[in-house]
Amino acid sequence: MLMCRDLATIASDYIDGELSGRQNLSVKMHLLMCRDCQTFIGNLRASSELMNAHSSRKLSNEFLRRIDERVARALAEKKSENQNQS
Amino acid sequence: MATPVHLETEVSLIDALKRGDSAAYETAVREYSSGMLAVARFYLDPSSAEEIVQDCWVTVIDAVQKFEGRSGLKTWLHRIVANRCKNRLRTANREVPTEFSESLEPELANRFNAKGRWNLPPQLQFHDSADTLMENGALSDCLDKHLSALPETQRSALMLYEAHQRKSEDVCNILDVSASNLRVLLHRARQKIFLMVETFQETGEC
Repeated sequence: MLMCRDLATIASDYIDGELSGRQNLSVKMHLLMCRDCQTFIGNLRASSELMNAHSSRKLSNEFLRRIDERVARALAEKKSENQNQS
Repeated sequence: MATPVHLETEVSLIDALKRGDSAAYETAVREYSSGMLAVARFYLDPSSAEEIVQDCWVTVIDAVQKFEGRSGLKTWLHRIVANRCKNRLRTANREVPTEFSESLEPELANRFNAKGRWNLPPQLQFHDSADTLMENGALSDCLDKHLSALPETQRSALMLYEAHQRKSEDVCNILDVSASNLRVLLHRARQKIFLMVETFQETGEC
């Protein structure tokens, strides 16, 4: 039988849907009976979402503007090249 | 956070990029650069990583003409960045997280009894959504502190997975790490964040 410690070991695989059907089922059965593990899974999922929110924070405007400038210059060069060819 | 680009929108965005539409480039730069930077940071120091991402966007102007849509635009961009970084490094001496043979963080592993039941179960539920939690400046700083304690390669892999590429297979391909290494890496890092938030909620301290 799956114990709390086993569940904690594979909790991320469960959250990400990376478990086999049988493993997934035994996690679900355990969660039905165990409130502590429900809390743990919920909190681990929140931790993952927190990482998501943290990682997608905005890039600096200066960095984005520098890219815009370089792209705009390259596009303009390309356009004039094409005009010269035609 | 930028709105995710859906499939239909992605097709018209790609068309506009192929036409050399500068507004489309501005949109794409804002949508995809943070993921590209996460890839670059896996291989390179912060300033070289930013430089590579800038160079890549210039390359994209020509390369996108040959883009056939076999992968999504995002994955295609991530591959371009990874290849450029690898070229620059030639021999990548990246730290593979081999020290992570155990999936459980020792601090968490100690909270179970000999039978494998919780001795010290989690007391609180993290009720707030991630966005609300992030608005707490002190917690956000604490998260920064804990993340920066992770090796650069582990942190970037984690960021890439959590925020930009939810498919393990793609992350493994882009970063050249094994699937099992990635799984352990993700789980260990999430446990650290879990333990950090728990301490923070209980004590108000980082």
